[in-house]
Amino acid sequence: MTDDMWYGHDDGGGGRFVPLYVLVNGRTCPRNTSLDLATQVIALPTDTRPLEPEHREIIYQCESWMSIAEIAAHLDLPLAVAKVLVDILLERGYLAIGSPADKMIADRGLLETILAGLQSL
Amino acid sequence: MDRKSAKVVVAGGFGTGKTTLVGSVSEIPPLTTEEVLTQASIGVDDLAGVEDKTSTTVALDFGRITINADIVLYLFGTPGQDRFWFMWDELALGAVGAIVLIDTRRLDASFPAVDYFERRGIPFVAAVNLFFGECLYSEEEIRSALKLDSTVPLVWCDARDRASSKQALIAMVRHAMSRLPANAQPAE
Repeated sequence: MTDDMWYGHDDGGGGRFVPLYVLVNGRTCPRNTSLDLATQVIALPTDTRPLEPEHREIIYQCESWMSIAEIAAHLDLPLAVAKVLVDILLERGYLAIGSPADKMIADRGLLETILAGLQSL
Repeated sequence: MDRKSAKVVVAGGFGTGKTTLVGSVSEIPPLTTEEVLTQASIGVDDLAGVEDKTSTTVALDFGRITINADIVLYLFGTPGQDRFWFMWDELALGAVGAIVLIDTRRLDASFPAVDYFERRGIPFVAAVNLFFGECLYSEEEIRSALKLDSTVPLVWCDARDRASSKQALIAMVRHAMSRLPANAQPAE
């Protein structure tokens, strides 16, 4: 394989340089199936220099807790792609994850806390 | 780590004020994210004139409310087109509950949403959005038109108004609590 295919001309005129399927390593869905749009992640103190720029952007976004939906919106990525990228960064130890969303809400304490929070808005 | 997310789904027919409601109570301006579908809409969408179109974009608007240091509530508006049910499934799984917005000029637009949450046993409230003007129908008329179960709360709201949208959310959380089995952890 020659090298020049990596220096090809970007006909898209300012389009994405690295195609999305490269960023996700061909992975089409996350291995951690409990990842949800609302799942929050946070960056761990690590050396991000070896990362691809797109991966690094996610780490920068996650200086404070951030949901997968927010990451997708801020970085203008399709949701499914954001989910896979977060999955990869979790596996590699760059991100930590909050409690996964419950499959069924059966926790009265949680609902009471939410109710109190809404009432004090 | 004990950082928890909770979800609320804001549903209703096209143009019933979902994004408006999300925007009025969210602490951030509503964000939009997109899911790209390929092939899925073939045979469903009228592709006349856009025969080359091989993908469809489903936009999703959402907002957030920080409840306390550990819990953030995310409000997701459902995609405008009711047929993207697979997106609804992702939004509804594990949701605290749903608000189904109703525009009384087009009651039928919200019927699929009512039906969806009823079938899945997800707690929801019906919120009649009054920003379209005075409502000409009584609560009984709306309930019967939407075939609402008598246990489903019906609230009146103005989706543009923060306090009013907040009350709709509160009614929804209360309703979700009332549906928990009695043997769940008792309130203090």
